[in-house]
Amino acid sequence: MGYPLRTGQATLWLACFFATQAAFAATPENLHNHPVWLTLGHYHQDTLGSGYTSQADDPAFFLSEHGKTSPRDELAATLEAIQQPGGGNDHARCRFPARDAWLREQLDLPGAQVDCPDYDEWFEELNTEKVTLVFAASYLNSPSSMFGHTFLRLDPPQNDSEADLLLANTISYAADAAEHDSELLFAYRGIFGGYPGITAIRPYYEMIRLYNDIEHRDLWEYTLNLSQPEVDTMLAHTWEIQDKNFDYYFFDENCAYRLLALIDAARPGTNLLNEVSTHAIPSDTVRWVRDAGLVERVHYRPSAATAVSHRLDTLPRDHRTIAAAIASGYVQVDGPELQQLTDQERAWVLDATYDYVRYQSEAKGWPREFAAPLSHQLLVSRSRIEEARDMPPVPEPEIRDDQGHDTFRVSLGFGQLAHEEFTQLTLRPAYHDVLDPPAGYRSGAQLQFLRLDARLYHDNQELQVEQLVGVEIRSLSPRNQFFSPTSWQVGFGGRRTDTGTERVFTPYLEGGAGGSWRLGQNSQAFAIATADLEIDDDIRRGHDFAPGADLGLLHQTNRFSLLAGAKTKAWIISNQHRQDQLYVKGNLHIGREFSVFAEFTREDHFDRYQSTWQAGIHAYF
Amino acid sequence: MKKLIAGAILLGASSMAFAQPGCGVGAMIWEGQSGIAPHVLAATTNGTFGNQTFGMTTGTLGCQTNQSVQSMAMYMDSNIDKVARDMSRGNGENLDTLAVLLGVDQVDRDSFRKVLQDNFATIFPNADTTSGEAVDAIVSLLEQNESLSKYVAA
Repeated sequence: MGYPLRTGQATLWLACFFATQAAFAATPENLHNHPVWLTLGHYHQDTLGSGYTSQADDPAFFLSEHGKTSPRDELAATLEAIQQPGGGNDHARCRFPARDAWLREQLDLPGAQVDCPDYDEWFEELNTEKVTLVFAASYLNSPSSMFGHTFLRLDPPQNDSEADLLLANTISYAADAAEHDSELLFAYRGIFGGYPGITAIRPYYEMIRLYNDIEHRDLWEYTLNLSQPEVDTMLAHTWEIQDKNFDYYFFDENCAYRLLALIDAARPGTNLLNEVSTHAIPSDTVRWVRDAGLVERVHYRPSAATAVSHRLDTLPRDHRTIAAAIASGYVQVDGPELQQLTDQERAWVLDATYDYVRYQSEAKGWPREFAAPLSHQLLVSRSRIEEARDMPPVPEPEIRDDQGHDTFRVSLGFGQLAHEEFTQLTLRPAYHDVLDPPAGYRSGAQLQFLRLDARLYHDNQELQVEQLVGVEIRSLSPRNQFFSPTSWQVGFGGRRTDTGTERVFTPYLEGGAGGSWRLGQNSQAFAIATADLEIDDDIRRGHDFAPGADLGLLHQTNRFSLLAGAKTKAWIISNQHRQDQLYVKGNLHIGREFSVFAEFTREDHFDRYQSTWQAGIHAYF
Repeated sequence: MKKLIAGAILLGASSMAFAQPGCGVGAMIWEGQSGIAPHVLAATTNGTFGNQTFGMTTGTLGCQTNQSVQSMAMYMDSNIDKVARDMSRGNGENLDTLAVLLGVDQVDRDSFRKVLQDNFATIFPNADTTSGEAVDAIVSLLEQNESLSKYVAA
């Protein structure tokens, strides 16, 4: 179809090519294929053919009208533009300082000073010595945040007493979605494109407010070992892409992806983008950065939720009770219960109570008429205590998020279903389930994408898809005196279901909500009300629905994880039978690379008993 | 110093176009919920929904002419509850940031922290105190202090 068009392009290309050759004979032949040039132009090799296309979706990012698809034309145009006399904000040298610096170095061009008022001011105000990659971990009771979020912090010189990390600037890249877009539209446009991605510069204290305080996510700060010239190159390139549109895609060209491109630009040869295949999960990108030897030091900044839990836990039990009573309004801030404490003890109770009241106001929307006067009284009382030691800081978790098990899991198992032997192969691209090694993950949280269970039955050599999980999210968050989160789960996909005569593959949708209570350091008991929907021609009425319940125990340690319980479902539309299940699943962890698993299920369905067991090994990549 | 203030103002300017800090009534302390319930998908995928910065309201109080005080006012406006918390405890990183914005020298930092802690109830007389009122109270407290008055001189 595009034959004449292509000829046209080719002619044009040739014209440009010769023009370039004539004007800049000094251009080394393959400079436009240089990795640094390709990185600076965000060029990637086309899937089909040998050409290149830039990921920038903004004409303002290119100086040549063929810049998007021609690194050569763009290089020629850039080279011409930066050699024009003059200066000022609109000069190519001011718009593309990173390209300018690199080309001048490569071609030994005279590097005369150029006057770029806006860029120079911007650069000076950012006042950056070090760059820190900040990772916002997933938050309590929200496994969907498990992918995390990353942004870059521009750290001012440490010996500058007028500088302060809270005032440091950050660079982040995000989808510029309209506030009124529904979740569905957001999901659709995010996956198939349609949202512009924007590079935003914001002060760190705003990011702390957003992630630490509002979303209750812990922040991990990975200071990179970039040298001052490398940092300067990164800033110069940030200036080039700032305000330029790069379409945003959730799975690959997302927040983390664009930051990797910036790091690649800062230190040529790093090639972090080569690690990206189909998706760039922010927590994985942190691993790549770490594995590339880019991390100098790591600092942990707990979220408001983590800090308040820790503070409450630090209080002795009877002081904790006083804190709960003050927060509920049963005990006055100047009441005798508090006055009898020493200054030191009272200071800690007031601190912990204040943090708790703030947390509840932000997270649970406690009414201001109650929370604000109480907050004020707590702080006024606290300000009268002068010499109190600070509460001990939240200890840094022993295992960081990036040190947890790798997220791609392959499993091989052997088992029996009602005396039929099978071998099962499971592939799970992402991310974590409650039986995987828990270190580095939130306890009780589970998020799985696109898990495929395939079985080969030995007797008849039949290969069957047992289950294909689209998405499965589960959050078991224990309730206590202070916090009362809802435990919940949701999932959809396809699975084998028993129609009474055969096991057919049917699409399903399931969900549930309930509560969970801590039994010990590593154990919790949960009770969830569930609902299941299956839709398939092979089901008598085409679909079936089951309310049900799931009661169980979850135990998670770095050595061993166990999930056991009883499920009951009452299928009420088509098959009108109860389905009762007892299940036990255990994983023995061998480091964070392997787990040996075993599971047993006893089921009563259609008035007959049936057992399934399976054992095998999980490997994490 | 100039660099820092310019930086602090740049931060604000990136999203709120040179509001006049120190002129506004500002945010009321403990405003209640910040109103941004995390979008499930936004959390997964890092979309941004509209402008999540915390704007300033212009009001009736007199404008501060001291640039450092303006920077402090701007910071207080976004972080008033955390500043108040640190102030009641007499230490904390938000109090340090305030000292940095005002350009308080290391030697004066201890007395700076102590003045603010001791006068907490003056700076925040009630639960409806706004950041603008708190800034004005801090300025007049510092003005009365021999070693600290230089940091808020107009």
